[in-house]
Amino acid sequence: MDTFNNSKPVLHLLLLPCLLLYSSIAFSSSSVEAAMHTNNWAVLVCTSRFWFNYRHMANTLSLYRTVKRLGIPDERIILMLADDMACNTRNKYPAQVFNNENHRLNLYGDNVEVDYRGYEVTVENFLRVLTGRHETAVPRSKRLLSDEGSHILLYMTGHGGDEFLKFQDSEELQSHDLADAVKQMKEKHRFKELLIMVDTCQAATLFNQLQSPGVLAIGSSMKGENSYSHHLDSDVGVSVVDRFTYYTLAFFERLNIYDNASLSSLFSSYNPSWLMSTAYYRKGVYKRSLEEVPVTTFFGSVMETIHTDAAYKALSRRNSGRFEAQTSLDQSVYHPERRTQMKVNDRDETHNINPEGNKQLLQGQEGASKCPWNTFCNKFLKAENVDSLVNYGLVAMVPFLVISTWLVR
Amino acid sequence: MAETREKSHKPKPRVRPIVRLGIFLVSHSFLVSVVCCTSGVLALFLLPVLAKNTYISENALMPGSASPMLSNQHVLDGNRLVKDLTNSNLKSSETGIESHKIIAQYMLDLGAEVSFHKFHPQMNQFHPLHFFSSPDSGKIQENYSCSSYGINTVGVIRAPRGDGKEAIVLVTPYNALKSGFGEALSLGIAYSVFSLLTQVTWLAKDIIWLVADSQFGEYAAVSAWLREYQTPKFSSLSTLNSEMCPDINNLFEIKVHSVAGSKFSNSFRRAGTMAAALVLKVRDQGEQFEDTISIYAEASNGQMPNLDLINVVNYLAVHRQGLRVNVEKLRSLLNSSWLKSLGEIFESLAKVAKTLNPKCKFGIPATEYVEGTATLASSLYYQALGVPTGPHGAFRDYQVDAITLEISPKFSLDKVWRNDILLRGGRLIEGVIRSVNNLLEKFHQSFFLYLLTSPSKFVSVGVYMIAFALLIAPLPMVAASLYVDANSSSNFLKGDSSTPSAVTDAAEHGITIRSWKWLNSAKLVFIVHLWGAIVSLLPYFICQIPDCSPTTSFVIWVLLSILSLLILNSVLASPLACVKASQEKEWALVKSVTISSVFIGLGLMSVINFATAEIGALVMVPMCLLAQPLKLDVRAGTLRSCCRIICNLVLGHIAFPPAAFFLLKGMLDGFGSANVGDFWMWVESLWAWNSATYLFIGMVQLPCWVLCVSILFHSC
Repeated sequence: MDTFNNSKPVLHLLLLPCLLLYSSIAFSSSSVEAAMHTNNWAVLVCTSRFWFNYRHMANTLSLYRTVKRLGIPDERIILMLADDMACNTRNKYPAQVFNNENHRLNLYGDNVEVDYRGYEVTVENFLRVLTGRHETAVPRSKRLLSDEGSHILLYMTGHGGDEFLKFQDSEELQSHDLADAVKQMKEKHRFKELLIMVDTCQAATLFNQLQSPGVLAIGSSMKGENSYSHHLDSDVGVSVVDRFTYYTLAFFERLNIYDNASLSSLFSSYNPSWLMSTAYYRKGVYKRSLEEVPVTTFFGSVMETIHTDAAYKALSRRNSGRFEAQTSLDQSVYHPERRTQMKVNDRDETHNINPEGNKQLLQGQEGASKCPWNTFCNKFLKAENVDSLVNYGLVAMVPFLVISTWLVR
Repeated sequence: MAETREKSHKPKPRVRPIVRLGIFLVSHSFLVSVVCCTSGVLALFLLPVLAKNTYISENALMPGSASPMLSNQHVLDGNRLVKDLTNSNLKSSETGIESHKIIAQYMLDLGAEVSFHKFHPQMNQFHPLHFFSSPDSGKIQENYSCSSYGINTVGVIRAPRGDGKEAIVLVTPYNALKSGFGEALSLGIAYSVFSLLTQVTWLAKDIIWLVADSQFGEYAAVSAWLREYQTPKFSSLSTLNSEMCPDINNLFEIKVHSVAGSKFSNSFRRAGTMAAALVLKVRDQGEQFEDTISIYAEASNGQMPNLDLINVVNYLAVHRQGLRVNVEKLRSLLNSSWLKSLGEIFESLAKVAKTLNPKCKFGIPATEYVEGTATLASSLYYQALGVPTGPHGAFRDYQVDAITLEISPKFSLDKVWRNDILLRGGRLIEGVIRSVNNLLEKFHQSFFLYLLTSPSKFVSVGVYMIAFALLIAPLPMVAASLYVDANSSSNFLKGDSSTPSAVTDAAEHGITIRSWKWLNSAKLVFIVHLWGAIVSLLPYFICQIPDCSPTTSFVIWVLLSILSLLILNSVLASPLACVKASQEKEWALVKSVTISSVFIGLGLMSVINFATAEIGALVMVPMCLLAQPLKLDVRAGTLRSCCRIICNLVLGHIAFPPAAFFLLKGMLDGFGSANVGDFWMWVESLWAWNSATYLFIGMVQLPCWVLCVSILFHSC
């Protein structure tokens, strides 16, 4: 054992070139693993029709408002509303939708862009949006133009059951369909991370077939549970919001774009006694620890800030011009994610056994590295000043002399 | 015989289990029939225990989810109308035109579309072919006169953002000539709701307010308006009317002049298809301790509106407005001690069951049981009668769900009280209208076939059919066993008497004759049923006799019926009857065929009107099963046969339709007031309402009774 332990660093040193080689190949072949977070998308779906399902439209519109407030622009939100409650003749407030009985906030203002409305919201169209298999005539605004670096929020609400979600009172989306669509998306490099949030009865059953990596899913209720509405607006005469969505919104109302609240704090904020159902999340093959992932990863559009010494060199990947949002610089305990290149290099030195680290190292070597040792080496190799070298050598001899005399004595 | 002996040597062919079961049941038909009938009657009495609580099935309805918007201002408006109407009544009571004008003026002031609908009352004619036909517009009245006509005032609110395809109807019967305070109050309630609905933004369906002129009866006015609404006439009748009766036209002209430029129109105003209709009445004198609202739902031939409509009204009245909801009950049953003891038995049984298994909980308290039974009995009775219990019945003919709400306030002349009733009644109506307004489709989610045991409890078709099925289940078995018995016994006798030499020939001949022998009985049964049909048609001719009192009509009817029976019997039945009379067991075959025909009749009737079939089965099944020639029983002289004689005689009296009618009437109202003409009147009302019960009595029950009596007096 001892020998093995001793030999471990040596082994690592030996392995290192191999790993470097491997990762460089991997990097060139599949860039998905290495994809950086490039943009945020949201697909918000209300699947049910009819006046008495007012709350589902209100749910979706409230979430639309929230993600927009947190920085996802309208062109990256696909909003699907199966019915138009605002213009329903039974609506006491024409052209307005509220999610609270205090009527303070009209969710259906002028700045709402509905991409799919009414009978356009079908299972087929929904799956087409996810997988990107559109007919040629479909305009760009109705497409999910995500890439392998996208974080996608998929929010769905409506009436569901065991492993299905009802669309339009006439058809169903089954858990197999959803899993298949997500799988296709993964294969087509349409996302880096995906959060599926579902507010229906027995929502958790909808995730049963999900297997793709990088997919997080949270549902409002477990199998055999119902999801309930939060309160009734006696003025409009219908329930206006569902409990799960209500408490999700309550969580987000306290946040702004700069907050670092983690996903786990969102998920733990669901109190089963308030929801009257058990919110269930499924991590699946999602790698990152939920404590480290800020909610803005999905619900906002907060990019990593990449500090570079020289423009267009370090990690200059496509879309780097789009890095608009700034992250707060404080590296809080909840959020020890590497945000800067310095951090990355720290990791490289400490855990250079993991392939990801090696990759970063490789990138470092490719680009203009800022490691002091490397600078030294570079200077050394260039050998600009022989005199100084000799001088350094002489100075270095002094300790040698001292030690040798001390040993001899 | 030889053949059969040969066959017996061969291995017996395997009989399928279902056939074996059938044979077993037929061979034990007596036991089966006793068990089935008792359990059928018992199941009927168990229905109040098995009743389920009602629930709102259609989730689009959302009753009570919106807070009522009817305010005191609307109540004051309603109150104003009530005052004006009661004053105008005092001023000009000779014509009702004045009050109609007032109502129309009020509607116009609200911005509603108003029109008058003039109609002539239809005579109650007996139309033999109108029993199952839909009401048609082709009934051109030849004998209308300008003097007798009614005026319905109709106001329509268009839904501001609606598509105008659907409508909700609110009906208030109003007799302008002699209106009580209750009618004026019902108009006040309707007006306050109407004035609110002109202001709201949430209407998806148009609202029609029909002030039905009830001087010729509430039903006539509503049905006349509905006929005009649903089946427009494209004839020159209306122009003819206006030419012939200028005084009617006068009314319209006055209106047009007085409110020029308003939404008044001479033509008939329509809105979309009707989603639901509410008939609102206020009883003149209330004697209850609290404000009560009675729901009447039965339409013609026992059709009921969708249960959801009753549920909505019940829910809103009880949980929102604090009104007590009441469904019609047979009051005489409430105090019956045997029912109470039966309820106590069920209660104690439920307790025992609960101690054995804590999970099972089907028991209800004895008092609740008695009330449930009384309500169930009245529900059965009114459905069986097939006569609508209010103007809502006219809507059911067009497949529109409708009920009548009758508010009986706790009476006092206080003004505060009046406002309170206006407010609560108005809010109830508003709530129901808002709830129906939320509907996306016709009422379809909940039950159409049900019996109520209380306003919030019902027995659905799946449960109450069991009682009926158990009652009629023994009929085919008994028929089969009687047939088999009749055949085999005569076979046995013949086999004994004939000499062995002539066995094969005679046996074969005998079998062929015997197997067709039932045709004679069938012929008899057919003749009696034919006679039944003739008897049911006779009133059509009797009606034509002018100036005929009910009593004389009834007597004529009875005499004609007997005459026709004698004629039919002599013409058709006599030649063969002589031949048959010699045969033994002939009555068994007659009984067998009778039972089969009764089974068919009851089965058919249960599809048309379940309640009639159920009540009919309660009387006819025991009578058919017990019928046996009195001579045989007298000859036997045992205790059992004595019992049978008594039962037969009692049933023979009860099952005669007029006797049953007088017995029921006596039980409900007391025997003092009974009159022979009453039966005629009752029957007249049955055919006037196109009730299938009339056909059932004439073509199933009466022939069955005649056949059973003929069996009783059979000479064997």
